[in-house]
Amino acid sequence: MSLTITPPAQNSRRPAPPTPRGMRARRTLHWIAVHSLAIALAIMFVGPLVFVALTALMTDSQALTSTLWPESWNWGNFAEVLERSPLLLWLGNTLMYAGLATVFMLLSSIPVAYALSKFRFRGRNLAFFLVISAMMLPPQVVAVPIYLLWARAELTGTLWPLIIPMLLGDAYSIFLLRQFLMTIPREYTEAARVDGCSDFTTLIRVVLPMARPAIAAVALFQFFYCWNDYYGPLLYASTEEANWTLSIGLASFRALHSVQWNLTMAATLLVIAPVLIVFFLAQRVFIEGVTLTGVKG
Amino acid sequence: MHRRFTPLAAIAAVAALALSACTAGTESAAPLTGRQASQKAAQPQTVELWHGFSADSEVKAFEDAVAAFKTKFPHITVKLTKGVQDDQIIQAIRGGNPPDIASSFTTDNVAQFCKTGMFQDLMPSIQADKVDLNVLPAVVRSYTEYEGKRCVMPLLADAYGLYLNTKLMDGNPAPKTLTELADLAKKLTKRKPNGDIEVAGFLPSVQYYENTPSHLGPMVGGKWYNADGTSAIGSDPAWKQLLKWQKELVDWFGHDKIEKFRKGLGQEWSDDNPFHKGKVAMALDGEWRNAMIKNSGIDLDYTTAPLPVADDKPGLYGSGFVAGTIIGIPKGAKHPEAAWQLIRYLTTETDGLVTLSNALRNVPTTSAALQSPQLAKDANFQTFLDIFSHPKTNTLPAHINSVFNQDTFTTFIQKWEQGKVKDLDAGLAEVDKAINDKLKLAGG
Amino acid sequence: MAVLSSPAPPSRRRREGLRALLWLSPWLAGIVLFFGYPLVATVYFSFHRYDLFTLEFIGLENYRYFFRDQRAHTAIGNTLWLVVFMVPAQVLFALGTAQLLTKLKRGAGFFRTVFYLPSLVPLVAGTVSFVFLMNPSSGPVNQFLAFLGIDAPDWFGDPSWSKPGLTMLALWGIGNTMVIFLAALLDVPKHLYEAAAIDGAKAWRQFRSITLPMISPVLMFSAVTGVIYALQYFTQAMVASRVAAGVTDSPGTSFVPGYPGESTLTLPQWLFHQGFRDFTMGYASVLALVLFAASLALTLLLLRQFRAFTDTER
Repeated sequence: MSLTITPPAQNSRRPAPPTPRGMRARRTLHWIAVHSLAIALAIMFVGPLVFVALTALMTDSQALTSTLWPESWNWGNFAEVLERSPLLLWLGNTLMYAGLATVFMLLSSIPVAYALSKFRFRGRNLAFFLVISAMMLPPQVVAVPIYLLWARAELTGTLWPLIIPMLLGDAYSIFLLRQFLMTIPREYTEAARVDGCSDFTTLIRVVLPMARPAIAAVALFQFFYCWNDYYGPLLYASTEEANWTLSIGLASFRALHSVQWNLTMAATLLVIAPVLIVFFLAQRVFIEGVTLTGVKG
Repeated sequence: MHRRFTPLAAIAAVAALALSACTAGTESAAPLTGRQASQKAAQPQTVELWHGFSADSEVKAFEDAVAAFKTKFPHITVKLTKGVQDDQIIQAIRGGNPPDIASSFTTDNVAQFCKTGMFQDLMPSIQADKVDLNVLPAVVRSYTEYEGKRCVMPLLADAYGLYLNTKLMDGNPAPKTLTELADLAKKLTKRKPNGDIEVAGFLPSVQYYENTPSHLGPMVGGKWYNADGTSAIGSDPAWKQLLKWQKELVDWFGHDKIEKFRKGLGQEWSDDNPFHKGKVAMALDGEWRNAMIKNSGIDLDYTTAPLPVADDKPGLYGSGFVAGTIIGIPKGAKHPEAAWQLIRYLTTETDGLVTLSNALRNVPTTSAALQSPQLAKDANFQTFLDIFSHPKTNTLPAHINSVFNQDTFTTFIQKWEQGKVKDLDAGLAEVDKAINDKLKLAGG
Repeated sequence: MAVLSSPAPPSRRRREGLRALLWLSPWLAGIVLFFGYPLVATVYFSFHRYDLFTLEFIGLENYRYFFRDQRAHTAIGNTLWLVVFMVPAQVLFALGTAQLLTKLKRGAGFFRTVFYLPSLVPLVAGTVSFVFLMNPSSGPVNQFLAFLGIDAPDWFGDPSWSKPGLTMLALWGIGNTMVIFLAALLDVPKHLYEAAAIDGAKAWRQFRSITLPMISPVLMFSAVTGVIYALQYFTQAMVASRVAAGVTDSPGTSFVPGYPGESTLTLPQWLFHQGFRDFTMGYASVLALVLFAASLALTLLLLRQFRAFTDTER
């Protein structure tokens, strides 16, 4: 073995600043590393959706095999899904649930957030504490007595037990709206009052226009929460297939309507698609809204 | 659909939300009285019936039976909802929005149905209409009542036996003892070069479709409960005998190999059922499999036999497990009288029962129907009729926590199969304890 | 202007209190009806045997049963698993992706959208998809692993892999947390990094001494809310077990959550099952109180974070 001792590089004692060339090379390497990592992650994030879509287009027998690319494109699978299960009915129920709940939530929560952020009164902190407590309370904790209330009102079997409470405010939405309204300087509302506006006109004329992004975000969240909700409809409406939402229908789809993966995936895709379309139409509202939820504590 | 969204009513109901919420049941609906049945039922009305059938051919057979009822009672319209499970029925009754008639595939919840009054007592109507319950075999009567309360009627019965694929059996006779079954299972199993199972002689896993403890128990005469409703599982040596036999066979296959094989099998109720596909040579199954094989249109040469029994209990051979579909009127039904008419027709009219039995290949539940010349019989189906009428044939005794108890036992057996149970006696004692604790909680 | 900035006179303050009360009254009614009453009633029911038909006082029997109920213990163990493994994994992964996004020179917007997209997929749909994608016989995930020479597990069918499977699903839908972290990272003043770079601090040191302290409130908030959601974890576990067990789910039999084994049984599922499938509502109330105690402790922790917020006003 020959020992070749490399003489220390001349610049070892006093490191010279990297040459512009070396720096650029390192930057390029860094650029490549970071971007390939991003691409790999992107594939992981999108891959599942792609495979769902591909499987949705296969024949039943191919979906059971390990091939990944459809041998033939069976667009009829979507029609078959619609034929086998009342997906459109469930879609209607879901839209009704999500739509009404969102409208009710806005009507009831904006005033509360307004009062919590713009009025000075004793018990204000207590009220805010209640908002946070209600927001953090797992829905399952109070499920038993609330279920009994709705059973007594003979509304179990429908989605109304999930919609009606929205008329009395939703803690999470109140919290987010309040956080946003706190950022509106008090001078605006005070000035409106000096101008002789009532609380109501102040809300309509001054606060609402300024809070538009927050309201849009909260409405979107509520809508999507309902669209996604599985626990609520399972608790109240699972006995009545006619009142199911997409979530319940999809979760039972494989057991009830089809054991074939291709049809199950076609149904899954039909449930996912509307959400993605809305997202691409309202992407900015989404990202801004999510950022809003990350309020610094 | 039972209840549609009606915004006004809903909002009014909120206003009416009473402060106390202690009784959720509805008192508005009329209970079954047995009196004035004829005059009340004569008005045109629609009864809603929930049933569990989901396979297309079964749904159609049931619809046909109901259509025959319609020709006799033209003023009663029946609205059928298929594929309903007990969860849904129970929740609907508890929540106060039940159908007029509910039918279940399982007798597991009969005790709960009768004890809590979730299903209405049928005795007043039975007496008013002078229906003779003695047309029902004793075992059938036993699983449709609880502590003397009759709240459901048997629709059709299921008996469980062994299905044998003639080609895979390769000339071997049907096994009569557990030892013969194990030997034959090993002999008929074919493996791939890497040791994976290609064809299984007999799958001993309790996770395999119908291999539930309740169906396997009659092979050893396992006893479930003591007279006071506490668990007898740990104290009856028969269960230990069954479990040791089963574990030995599982270990021969290799638990991981069984799991791998099981995961690749088709769905039980589809044409991909492994027995249809020739992937298992022998399988424990109900009499309905005859109809399913026929309906799937495949050319499968098979025979049926009673389940093998413990080597030291040859007297059990020929018996088996029996349970059946039940049907009753939930508390809070809107049209109980019309519902009773339909139930009486479906469960006691010989013609209707025979037609339904012939279509579903289920065992009819009345003596007249069993003896009817119209009842289609072939050797494979006859096996089940014989099991059904065997004197030692039994059913799972009614218990208010029946589902919990079976599930607890099954979960334990799964752990046992995996080899996670070191001490069988201690493990079974824990099963006993879980069952008894739960019984205490339920106030049984 | 002087009038505005002086403290409000007591009478005016009281009037403002009345006005606030007016605005808050529907919500206060809601709090009483859907928060206060149920909490009290849950405590009341926990001392009773109640099946919706009969109500019977049984003292501490339900509580005693809780200590004997093996499944409840398993459920709590599983819920703790999620808290200990899933939540940190989510936070770290979200932080990692957010950090990556800040480093991207090109296409940051595109990648942000792509990373965010899965979090929009409805929970049930995402779960059904994952059960398919990770099924052992035809799922692409296992084929990919087999291609790499890895003998892949039967994720949602294997008790020791089902929770990791659910964790993968959770990581997939990390979008919201990631966007929050991204905003926080971008909020860190650039000049701090520049100053540190001049001092010769390496990337890791910069991250530790600048990034982490600056975003720690957001990190803390996400971790605590993550834990609270983990306590409520229901939908994914319920759907995954249902769909994965689909093959053996025969009609007529009741479905007990937790498949495979009891590995995906969480406390809320067991509560749901006890309350709304078995209708042992008294015992379900005990489970509810256990869940309540756990989430209350966490909420108080969170409130400490918020204390500054409630008193200050901008």
